[in-house]
Amino acid sequence: MSQSKRMDILTLASLSLGLLTLGIGAFLAFTAPPATEQGHVYRIIFLHVPSAWVGMVSLFVAVAYSILYLARGKAHYDRMATAVIEVALLFLSLTLISGMLWGRPTWGVYWTWEPRLTTFAILLVVYIGYFVVRSAIEDPELRAKASAAISILGAINVPITYMSVKWWRSLHQTQTFDLTTGRSNFDPAMLPALLVNILALSLLFLAFVRIRGLLAERESAKQELSPQAG
Amino acid sequence: MPYALRHGLFAFGVWRRAFDVHAMTLLTRIFWLALRDLTLELRGRTGLLAAVFFLFTMLLILGLALGPNQDELRKAAPGVLWVALAFAGSLLAGRAFGLEVEDNTLDDLLLIPGSREWIYYGKLLFQLLLLLAVGLVLLFLTAGLFYLPLATLPGILVTLVLGSVGYASVSTFYAGMLARLRGREALLPLVLFPVVVPVILASVRATTLLMEGLPLGEVAEWWRLLLVFDVIYLTLCGLLFPYVLEG
Amino acid sequence: MSPLLEAQSLSKRYGRDWVIRDLDFRLEAGEVVALLGPNGVGKTTLLRLLAGLIRASGGQIRRQGKVGLLANPPAFHRHFTGEENLSYALRLEGHTPRASTIAAALKAVGLPAGKPVLGYSSGMKKRLAMARLRLLRPEIWLLDEPEAALDAQGRELLEALILEARTSGGVVLATHDRDWVQRLATRTLELSPIT
Repeated sequence: MSQSKRMDILTLASLSLGLLTLGIGAFLAFTAPPATEQGHVYRIIFLHVPSAWVGMVSLFVAVAYSILYLARGKAHYDRMATAVIEVALLFLSLTLISGMLWGRPTWGVYWTWEPRLTTFAILLVVYIGYFVVRSAIEDPELRAKASAAISILGAINVPITYMSVKWWRSLHQTQTFDLTTGRSNFDPAMLPALLVNILALSLLFLAFVRIRGLLAERESAKQELSPQAG
Repeated sequence: MPYALRHGLFAFGVWRRAFDVHAMTLLTRIFWLALRDLTLELRGRTGLLAAVFFLFTMLLILGLALGPNQDELRKAAPGVLWVALAFAGSLLAGRAFGLEVEDNTLDDLLLIPGSREWIYYGKLLFQLLLLLAVGLVLLFLTAGLFYLPLATLPGILVTLVLGSVGYASVSTFYAGMLARLRGREALLPLVLFPVVVPVILASVRATTLLMEGLPLGEVAEWWRLLLVFDVIYLTLCGLLFPYVLEG
Repeated sequence: MSPLLEAQSLSKRYGRDWVIRDLDFRLEAGEVVALLGPNGVGKTTLLRLLAGLIRASGGQIRRQGKVGLLANPPAFHRHFTGEENLSYALRLEGHTPRASTIAAALKAVGLPAGKPVLGYSSGMKKRLAMARLRLLRPEIWLLDEPEAALDAQGRELLEALILEARTSGGVVLATHDRDWVQRLATRTLELSPIT
């Protein structure tokens, strides 16, 4: 299987378009009207919610790659699942950090043991565990199978984290978009900025994953040094 | 009787019988595998004794740390119960496939014709029985040492069963996945705990509500959540198991 | 009649080392195929691939019938007696063995009754594995160095078992004892190292 060994047009396009959209998103975020109660602090939401969304949704993309790996057994799917989870972890960490910075002025603490934060921390630990397991298994096939299983089972935590604000009636505000009722709990005046930022992070996500996948492919091709790799 | 109807009924009967025979063999296989492992475990005794001893030590330390105020101990009891069970369960999880790895007999299980889901469910039944046995011991220990009221014993037992099924379904899966790996004892809790934490949290909440004497309607919400976890984990793990076990 | 076992361009590698590469293999009923070659050439790997215990890196395998494997060394539960090992092996396949059947099978390979496998020698384990295979009645018999650790009487039992296996199925047998296997094999397959 010889895929293009250089960055292709899609990667470059999504990277540049993503950066451009991010600029527009930042502009919209800072020109949106201030919130009635929180003033300007609330603007963190334009980073916090998009990164959470892209991070969490991408975990389902990783599930798709993991299922493909288990069904077809091609190393490419394993590499892509890993690339997706790696970038997702980056976005989820961004969510965590921005959330803590937001929590300090509004709740008075960086961290509190309430359900949304707890389930989110568990989610992060699952996917950090994913990489610990990968580094612990030498046999490439067993490593790929085990990590695929962790990715599939771990994704159960995504809906749990999402629903935690409802199930456990927590301190954290409810979902920005409630998927169970299809309602938006967001001020329409602030909505464009949020949507543009979601688009920007999605494009960047796509670019990062493609670059990471390319690197992983080169790495494994270098390790194999075998004429019939793949 | 018209031919088509007769033919249809015949085909249905054949299909029914084939399905029943198949389901019966699978159920007997699952049963015998669990029974065999229980017999072996009781003869070897290493895993079970270690788990119970570990629990006892843990309860003593926690009792000393949180006591001696009775009210505070009682408040902590549900958490203590489930945390202790989760840790003991991670000790026991290795036993599900430890027996096969020590004696190198996993291949013989894999050679048995047919798909391999039943191996998972057999091992799961074995794990579940161990976990429930340890859970019962633990329940009475926490009742004695932490003043956990047993007035709502049936409700607590329901929670114990629901929570144990969820826990064992994940722990058995990971134990099988890592069975042939060196250093599995260290890795197993690492991958196991994050996935089972939601089950543990729901079990703790249900136990706390029961202890506080809240109406069953509120507790049932948590039971429903636990049931959803159980069904999801049982199905997913059973489906994935044949893929991760081979090789 | 379709073959019991058919492998096409079978390959297996560990990391960057190929153990088996583009191997075609057929096993018909009534055949005894001797697998020969120096240590480390992939005889055990091939048997485990054919048995379906490991996944091939490439190629396909089709099986028509139940697989029985005599591993080297064979594995049993140490804390069970010979009888218990045999009886659980049958039960897990859905049979309900009678105690007399088990006792007879154990006696046929000259093993003592009621002794835990913990106290077995390696030759005794081989005999117990032979008894288990005969009870399970596979069609595809895969034997990995079956003659190792067996005494003269054990070898006679093994030869009888192989002849019996031929009547109902086919045998693939990995061995180092060329002279011994000449008498039994209908065909030999020489594996050579991949360079």
